[in-house]
Amino acid sequence: MAFKQDVPWYKDAIIYQAHVRTFSDSNGDGIGDFGGLAQKLDYVEQLGINTIWLMPFFPSPLRDDGYDIADHYSVHSSYGTLEDFRTFLGSAHERQIRVIIEMVLNHTSDQHPWFQLSRSSQENPRRDWYVWSDTDTRYPDAGINFLDTELSNWAWDPVSKSYYWHRFFSHQPDLNYDNPAVREEMWNVMKFWLEVGVDGFRLDAVPFLVEREGTNCENLPETHAILKELRRKLDEQFPGKMLLAEANQWPADLRPYFADGDEFHMAFHFPLMPRMFLGVKLEDRKPITEILQQTPAIPPSCQWCLFLRNHDELTLEMVTDIERDYMNDKYAHDKTMRLNRGIRRRLAPLLDNDRRRIELMNGMLMSLPGTPIIYYGDEIGMGDNINLGDRNGVRTPMQWNGGWNGGFSVTDPEKLYAPLIQDPVYGYPAVNVFSQRRTEHSLLNWTGRLIAVRKTTSVFGSGSIEFLYPANHRILAYVRQLGDETILVVNNLSNAAQAVELDLRRYKGNILIEMFGKNIFPRVGEIPYLLTLGPYHFYWFRLRRI
Amino acid sequence: MWEMIISELTQAVHELARGFAHILPRIIVLVIMAFAGWMVAYFLKVFLRSILRLIKFDKLSENAGASQLLTKAALPSATEVLSRFVFWVAWLGFILLGVRVLGILGLEEQIAKFFLFLPRLFVALFTIFFGMLGATFLSRAALLAAVNANLPSPRLLSVSIRTIIIIFVLSMAFEEVGVAEETMLVAFGIAFGATMFGLAIAFGTGGKDLAREFLEKRLVRGTSKDEGKEDDLSPL
Amino acid sequence: MTEVKLAGESFLTDDFLRQLIDVGEVDILVGVATHNNAKTIGSIVETIQAGILTYFPRERAVIVNADGGSRDGTPDLVVSAAIGDARSPSKLYALRTLHSISAQYASSPARGTALRTILAAAELLRARACAVISPESTQITTDWLPAVLRPIYSEEFDLVLPTYRRHRFEGILLSNLLYPMTRALYGLRIREPYALDFAFAGRLGSRFLAQNAWHDETARAGSETQFTLAAIAGGYRICQSFLGNKEHVERRSADLVPAMRQTAGALFASLEPNFSLWNSRTGSQPIPTAGAEPEFTLEPLRVNRKRLREMFSIGVAELESVFQSILCPSTLAELQRIAQLEESRFRYSAELWVKTVYEFAAAYHKSVISRDHIIQALVPLFRGRVFTFLVENRNGSAKDVEDNVETLCLEFERLKPYLLEIWNGRE
Repeated sequence: MAFKQDVPWYKDAIIYQAHVRTFSDSNGDGIGDFGGLAQKLDYVEQLGINTIWLMPFFPSPLRDDGYDIADHYSVHSSYGTLEDFRTFLGSAHERQIRVIIEMVLNHTSDQHPWFQLSRSSQENPRRDWYVWSDTDTRYPDAGINFLDTELSNWAWDPVSKSYYWHRFFSHQPDLNYDNPAVREEMWNVMKFWLEVGVDGFRLDAVPFLVEREGTNCENLPETHAILKELRRKLDEQFPGKMLLAEANQWPADLRPYFADGDEFHMAFHFPLMPRMFLGVKLEDRKPITEILQQTPAIPPSCQWCLFLRNHDELTLEMVTDIERDYMNDKYAHDKTMRLNRGIRRRLAPLLDNDRRRIELMNGMLMSLPGTPIIYYGDEIGMGDNINLGDRNGVRTPMQWNGGWNGGFSVTDPEKLYAPLIQDPVYGYPAVNVFSQRRTEHSLLNWTGRLIAVRKTTSVFGSGSIEFLYPANHRILAYVRQLGDETILVVNNLSNAAQAVELDLRRYKGNILIEMFGKNIFPRVGEIPYLLTLGPYHFYWFRLRRI
Repeated sequence: MWEMIISELTQAVHELARGFAHILPRIIVLVIMAFAGWMVAYFLKVFLRSILRLIKFDKLSENAGASQLLTKAALPSATEVLSRFVFWVAWLGFILLGVRVLGILGLEEQIAKFFLFLPRLFVALFTIFFGMLGATFLSRAALLAAVNANLPSPRLLSVSIRTIIIIFVLSMAFEEVGVAEETMLVAFGIAFGATMFGLAIAFGTGGKDLAREFLEKRLVRGTSKDEGKEDDLSPL
Repeated sequence: MTEVKLAGESFLTDDFLRQLIDVGEVDILVGVATHNNAKTIGSIVETIQAGILTYFPRERAVIVNADGGSRDGTPDLVVSAAIGDARSPSKLYALRTLHSISAQYASSPARGTALRTILAAAELLRARACAVISPESTQITTDWLPAVLRPIYSEEFDLVLPTYRRHRFEGILLSNLLYPMTRALYGLRIREPYALDFAFAGRLGSRFLAQNAWHDETARAGSETQFTLAAIAGGYRICQSFLGNKEHVERRSADLVPAMRQTAGALFASLEPNFSLWNSRTGSQPIPTAGAEPEFTLEPLRVNRKRLREMFSIGVAELESVFQSILCPSTLAELQRIAQLEESRFRYSAELWVKTVYEFAAAYHKSVISRDHIIQALVPLFRGRVFTFLVENRNGSAKDVEDNVETLCLEFERLKPYLLEIWNGRE
């Protein structure tokens, strides 16, 4: 199925992050698979999604939920076969839904044949595919990512009697990108999947590819060179495909990953996400406007990726100590909710299941500059289970209905890969797709309408942004513009009704048309434009001059 | 001739009797009016006395300095004086109304003049009373301000202000009642310059805080330069 | 029937109200009343800002400036302390927006109206804890804010008054009149009942704002003292907090009359409505104090004692007619006697001073003459008392000074029945 190659398609994308394992089980083994995922494509399409991002589905010991890859060229048997994947991909494309897949460049599972060969002896041709050392003192300035489980970035290998480098779990040894063979092979992996038909890659943990003494081993020039080379090959051989960077860095450090438009197409705006939660809790737009003021301009062909939650903990790496303490106190008062430097909870529990706040956050997600990502299950307000350990609490089975296993699988509940959420508030009898479909004003249907309105214009995906700074700090207001189309967005971050006067003199003479109800509001004049908003309410206005 | 004399006598007696018969009812009316007037005047006196006691008029009068004057003149309290004054004025008014009934030519005009004069008399008394009240207040204010600002001869200043205000007030009162108008006008003209000075002081010391502060600041600065070192203490 | 206030009668300008709407609900409000304080206000506001960011980083806070018609750009300096969307002007990190707003309440300064403006802002913004800082408190440190606000936040006090390390001869009006008399009558040992740096809970501010004392010129002039007295009368929890050194501010003798109005005037005005409260209290109790105890410092200070003595004598002589209305004949006679004494033998004893003050208070209550005149008449007598205090304490240690103040306080307490006797009784 050929897509219309409107480059750049990713600017208008609405991305849905899903894990094949958690979505739907078609063969009754208690684990989601591609057959089940394909069956649910109608649902995804009806929601308004046009891009699916799949978490790793490769063969893996699953000690890090698939991010520890043991075979890059196949599909984990629990999820189906390569053919099943092709079938799913074809079905998605038929529905004009693109599919981007995970590609973990930085490391592999220690069960990967490459590592097994590398460790076997110092003379093995694959020896240099990983980073080995006789001591554990090299690169002392590199930080530890998984603070809760790892004490060092070096792990002792009893087989090869030496240390190997790992920036994540110790069972995930880092590949050695100074070795051209590694670089060549990883391109081959990507090429394989591109030829299968995927539309792009989310490249995991890209800042850590290269190590150098005397540095923190992140964002090094050599890393960027490698990534640019990958991009060059991609553009040459597979135009129209997209690379999305996973780099948890400050905006200034993220900017190089776009380069001059010749490195990544997209990158996650990690620092913005926690500040959206911070702003709503503080009832103050300052954290949001501050980080966006610090966000550098990116090449016109590039795009930020925005998200509220994902499969990992809500990372608090890119905030100050004061902000981190505040977030932990307000959102994770129970310390078991905290993991590494983040909070392992889903969207709805984080927002106390407050429908208004959930809508407000989604409204900002869809209207701030960037491509939005919805994490599976957040569109119906799924809950979490922190007792499942690590980050598994936010990776529970999708809740389709109130019946057997929530409609996820026909197997015995005890055989499910993870238990369903069952409490009276978030449990599958209360929160599921089926019942929300039948309720006109459910969160699911509301999210569908929100996406539909967003898709009526390209302004949100491709337009500029200009912040208005009304004196009322509880109001976050900005104007999006693309060509002669202008949209005014006003968000009330507060739990109380607010009045705000906006200086819209530049847009004098325009009539405001509220985009959801399509009702007209008073024309903009010389005097400040007075708006009142209910708690956590937001407006999207199209400005129209007639 | 005797018949003529008797006839004239009889006629004269008749005329006298007629005149007497003409005036007697009027005298009776006069007596009735006097009596009724006494009742009304007494009621007014009692009523006014109650009102004045309620508003503590004696206190006001004391503040005005009027009580001291009355005491020196061996007169009763201000409340009593005013009540009695109103009593006599009211009764006199009624009597005069009764006299008017007698129809004595020339007297009617004088009685009318008296009633026209009454309001002016009240206005004059009112002016004097409140003028004295103001004079006492402002002179005391000037005295206090001058003492606290360490001005020379504060008492002289205070008395001067009081005197000038009283002259001014009396001038107004005399003009109101029309007594020696020309004389008072000339005398007032002579004292006009001094009155303006007094008003300026009165405004500065008895009026707004700003004027008082401004005056004190200006004068104290002048004074302290003469005296050399001044306090460094902050009272608060 | 309650009086309905029309919109036109509000003393808050539309512009200020708009600013308050933008600020919204706050946890902490810091009020600063100014009039041409450009020389000092910049550093003071910066310190306030640092105090908020350091000790109350999570709290919603606002700095409110009530300005009495400054012409030197004072309000602009206050407003520049705001921290918003742009980079913070402070070196400290700001978790949230810090508003700093200014309102001109009048074209000339009026302390009562300034305080009223701050109280109104605190009520409309539902501030939980409020601090008022003087624009002349250049000795302010970042520790001041937690010192005055934490008792309200953590310990539910309603009013926090300051104590200082003062020069022994500073604040004599407080140590010789306001403190001992407040202590004797109201039973609480509040060192600084008249405070320019203090903090209060929102509920106390609302209560004081609602009292209809704002139309009374006397009350407006002494509103700081009235505030303390309102807290005492309302049974609110009061404590003191040590704020370090008190800045020496140059004053002139002409400032004594307004100072007397703000302290004695306000105190005397409070006695009548609160009679049932103070007439039955005996003795006094200490109130909780955070930080160090107040103390006196002993640096040498230039004082023109001779002038004080002279002004006392002149006052006694020239104001005899006024004093005859106010004082008992025996007290007046004694004052006239000591006014004749040579400087070396002059002594305005504690007992005589207390009797003087109490007789003035009684006269004020009975309005024997204009009440403002009564207050003004007290000033020359106070100068005499200052002279004696200077002489008695010129060579003493800090403890000696403290003991002398304590002795005076006990004298006020001892003679309280005398005040009650003359309150309504003999002339």
